[in-house]
Amino acid sequence: MGLEINRRTFLTGLAAAAAVPARAAITPPASPVAIAKCKSYSESLPVITKLMDQLGGLGKLVKGKTVVIKINFTGGPTTRLGYLPQSRSYWTNPQQVGAMITLLDKAGARRIRIAEGADSPFVSLEEWMYKSSWNVTALKNAAPRVDFVNTNIAYPGKKPYARFTVPNGGLLFPAYDLNTVFDECDVLISMTKAKEHTTAGVTISMKNLFGMTPNCIYGAGAGGDEPLKMPKGGRQQILHGGRGNPPKSSLPELDPNSPRQDTYRIPRCVADINAARPYHLAVIDAVESISGGEGPWSPGARPCSPGFVFAGTNGVCVDAVGMALMGFDPMADRGQVPFEDGDSALKLAESLGVGTRDLKRIEVIGTPIAEAKFDYRAVPGGIYLRGQPRQQRQPGQFPGRGGQPGRGNQPGGPGPTPAGRG
Amino acid sequence: MALANSIPMRWPSGPLEIAIRQKAEGFTPQARQTLEYWHTAPALDFLQGSPVNCLVVSWAAGLAEDAEQQRSMQPLVAAARQRNVDVVGWVDAKADSQAAIAAAKSAGLTAAAVQGFTGKSDFPVIPWGERGHAPWQAASEVIAITDNVWPGVAGRAAGGGGGAVSAGPTALPWLDSNGWFLQVAHAMTNTPLWILFDPPGKGEVVPARSYQTAVCDVEIGGGRWVISLDDAFRDGLSARKQDSLDAWKGLSSAVAFFSKHPEWKAYRSIGAIAVVSDFAGDNYDFSGELVNALSRRDLLCRVLRDSGKELPPLTAVKTVLRADPTAPSAALRKSLLAYVEQGGFLVAAKWAADGKPVADENEDFTMRALGKGRIAVVKQDTPDPWEFVTKAQSLVSHADDSAKLFNASASGGFTFTSSPDGKRALLQLLSYANYGGGGGRGGAGRGPGGAGAGTVPLSSLATAWTRLKYRSAQLWTLESAAPAKVEVAACEDGGTEYHLPAMSAYLALDFEV
Repeated sequence: MGLEINRRTFLTGLAAAAAVPARAAITPPASPVAIAKCKSYSESLPVITKLMDQLGGLGKLVKGKTVVIKINFTGGPTTRLGYLPQSRSYWTNPQQVGAMITLLDKAGARRIRIAEGADSPFVSLEEWMYKSSWNVTALKNAAPRVDFVNTNIAYPGKKPYARFTVPNGGLLFPAYDLNTVFDECDVLISMTKAKEHTTAGVTISMKNLFGMTPNCIYGAGAGGDEPLKMPKGGRQQILHGGRGNPPKSSLPELDPNSPRQDTYRIPRCVADINAARPYHLAVIDAVESISGGEGPWSPGARPCSPGFVFAGTNGVCVDAVGMALMGFDPMADRGQVPFEDGDSALKLAESLGVGTRDLKRIEVIGTPIAEAKFDYRAVPGGIYLRGQPRQQRQPGQFPGRGGQPGRGNQPGGPGPTPAGRG
Repeated sequence: MALANSIPMRWPSGPLEIAIRQKAEGFTPQARQTLEYWHTAPALDFLQGSPVNCLVVSWAAGLAEDAEQQRSMQPLVAAARQRNVDVVGWVDAKADSQAAIAAAKSAGLTAAAVQGFTGKSDFPVIPWGERGHAPWQAASEVIAITDNVWPGVAGRAAGGGGGAVSAGPTALPWLDSNGWFLQVAHAMTNTPLWILFDPPGKGEVVPARSYQTAVCDVEIGGGRWVISLDDAFRDGLSARKQDSLDAWKGLSSAVAFFSKHPEWKAYRSIGAIAVVSDFAGDNYDFSGELVNALSRRDLLCRVLRDSGKELPPLTAVKTVLRADPTAPSAALRKSLLAYVEQGGFLVAAKWAADGKPVADENEDFTMRALGKGRIAVVKQDTPDPWEFVTKAQSLVSHADDSAKLFNASASGGFTFTSSPDGKRALLQLLSYANYGGGGGRGGAGRGPGGAGAGTVPLSSLATAWTRLKYRSAQLWTLESAAPAKVEVAACEDGGTEYHLPAMSAYLALDFEV
C-alpha cells in the first residue's frame, strides 16, 4: 500500500484540492488520506513523518516555498477543560506543530509561518501562546525561519487583506477578505484536532479554516467603511448570527433574507472558505481530544484519547475519513448524527466541488479506519443532549433537526422533526 | 489596643445616623428601629466570639444632632470598653474637628477619625481622606481611606445594579477591586490602611459570599476593610435570624483567617513590570488607572513611587512604565537611564528623548536605543490609561509572566507577592463571582450550600502556573485550619503547574523559595 501510494504526488492532491468545478457539474475529486495510530505526543515526529511518506513526501510540495500552518486556538488562552492544557484537549498540539516545522524545514521549505487569529487584547500570536504556556522558543528553534502571524488583524504592509472569491458564487458570501498571509503563501496546511462541534456537528480540517476570517472584518463591532484596527469581539455577531455585515470594504452576504441561524450559516461559511481558499495539506490530531463539543464551554465536553493522527490533501476527503474515525457517517445529512442541529459542511463543500465525502472513493492508507476508529459519542460523562432545542432558535426557523434527547450513539436516522422546523 | 492590628467595623446607630439617613430616599421604619437598637449595649452581643474588636461610630457631622449623638452614645461606649472593644468616632468633613476630638477624648473613645488630619493632638487621631486626596504624610497609627469600591463583577455583583454583566474593553467581565489602589497606597506609605466602603444599598440583595469577597479583596492587597453591613444584614443580626448569623460567621471566619497570617500584609508584588509615578494630582488618576488596567489584563506589576530620588534596584523588572507627562528629576532620570543601559525597557511619555532613534514600525511609539536597552516614547499623549495600556501591551510580553492562572481569570483576580526577605512567595486567588454554590445572603434568604453541591464542573478546576519551581507549596483556603498539599505538574514551557481544588471563593498558594 505504502509503495503504491508513494507513486502519487502531492501535486496531484494539490490540483485536486484547488480545482473547484462548477457546482454539481462534475464528480468532486477524491484524494487519499493516511491514518496512523499514535498513543502519545512524544511520538509526533515519527508518526507524522510516516504519514507524509505515505502521502508521497513533503519535498515536492514545500521545497523552496513559503508554508503557512493554520493552527487552531478556539476560545481563550486561559480556558482549560479541567486541568488539561488546551493542547491536550481542544487546541492544536505544539509538539505536533514542532514536528511539522522540523519536517518542513528538512523538506526544504523556505519560510514557515504559524497563523491563527488572536483576539484583543493580544496583538501578537506569540503573546496568546505565552499566555497559554506554549513553548514559543521551542517552535522558533525548530527551524531557521519560523514566524507567527495574528490573522485577526491586518497583515503588515500595503496589502492588509486579500480577497478570496468563492467559485461559482458561494453559499453565504461571494468572497471573503482574509489576512494577506493566506495569499502570500505557497502552501497552506491545516493542523487541528478532530472534535465534535456544537454548531457544525464536527470540526476537523475544514472548520479550522473558518478561523481564518479576521475579526477586524467579520468580528463583533466590525462594519462601517473599513476594517477595524483591533478586533472588538468574536464572529458570533456577523458570521454566526447574521446580525450586520462586514465593513463596506468587503462584500456583503449573498442573501440577507436567509436564516439568521448559526447552524445554517456556519456550515455554509466553512464550505465557502474551503472552496475559495482550499488548503494543500491537513494533519489532524486525535491523539488526545474532547468529545461532546469543540471546547470546555460546550455543555457535555469531556476529554478522550482516540489515539490516532491522520493526514490528507483534500478538505472533504480528510473530514469524511475523520468523521468515520470518530464513529460518524460522513454521508449524514442535516438532522442526522452528528448534524442533528444543522447542515453538513462536508455535503455543502462537496456540492461546491471541493471533494468527495464518499468513503468508497477515498483511498485510505496506513491503519484501516476500522482499526483506528474511536466512537466519540461513546465517551462517558456527556450531559449535553444533542438535538434539544436551543434557546436562540425561533419557531419556523431552519432547520429541521432530529435526534432524540440522549440518543447519543444510537444508530439510525434522525428523530421526528418538530412542526414548523422542516 | 493597637489600632494598627484591630478589626474595625462600621457601627451606624443613634440620632445622628437617623438624621442623616432619613434625608435619603427609602429610609424605612425598620431601618430606624435597627439604628436605634444598634445604639444600645445588647446590640453588641453578636460580636461575642467574632474577631471584631473596634467599632467605628458616627460621632460628628456638623449637624444639630451631633451633641445628642455623643451624649446618647455613652452606654454603648461603656459596654464596648467593658468587652475590650475599641470605639473610634468618625468625624465628617463638615464637623468642627477640634471640638469633635475634644468630645471624643472626654467620652472615653479610643480615637477620632478626622478628614485630612495632619496636625498634632494629645488624643489619638486617625486621618482619613478620599483616594485621590489621601493624607499619606500623616504621622499616625492608621490611615483611613474612603471612596473605595464594593468588589465584584461589575454589573452582576451586588453593587452593579443587577442584570447583565458589563464588559470592559477586553470583552471580559470587568472586575471592581480595591487591589490596584492598595498597591499604589503601599508605594506611598508604610502606615497600615483602613479601607472604607459600604454595601451597595438601594435594596439590592447582597449575597453572604459578597461580604467574604470584600474582606478578601482588601486583605489580599494588604489593607483592612472597615466591615460595613447593609440594612438587611443588620436587621437579621438584630433579630438573630439564622441566615444572618451564618453569614456573619462566614464573614468573621474570613477576617479570622487573615488575622492568622499578618505577615502576608508585608508581601509585595513580583511583577515584571514596574509603574513609576508620583501619583499626585492628575498623575494619580492616570497612573493609578494604569495599575488597575494592568491587573485586569493579568499583567502583574509592582508600583514604585517617584519621590524625586533614585529608584531602588529594579531586579527582575523587564519593563518600566512612567506615564507621568513631566520630566523626572535628575536623580530619577539617572536611575531610569541606568536601568535602560543595563538592558531594561522603559515606556515613557514624551519627555524621554534619550538614546538614539531606531527603525521600528510601531504606530504608537518611537523606539530609541540606549546601551543594552530600549526606550519607547509615546508619539501621541493620550488621556485614557486603558488606551495607554493597550498600546504599551504590544511592547511588554507575557513571556515574562512570573505567574498565571487557567480557568480563573474571567471572574477572578490574583496577586503574586514575595516576602520582604524573598524567602517566601504567595499567590492569592479570589473569585469575584457571587453566583453558584456557597451562596446565601447577608440579610435573609437561602442558606449556604447552593445548587450543584456534590458536583464539580470541569470549568471550576483552576490551575496556577509559576515560572519558578519552588521548594514547597502549601494550599490555604478560608476554611482550612492547616495548609493542604497541592498537586504539582511540570509544564511544557518549563514552568510549574499547581492543580487547584474546586474553588469556593479564595485560596492561597504559599511557596517556600
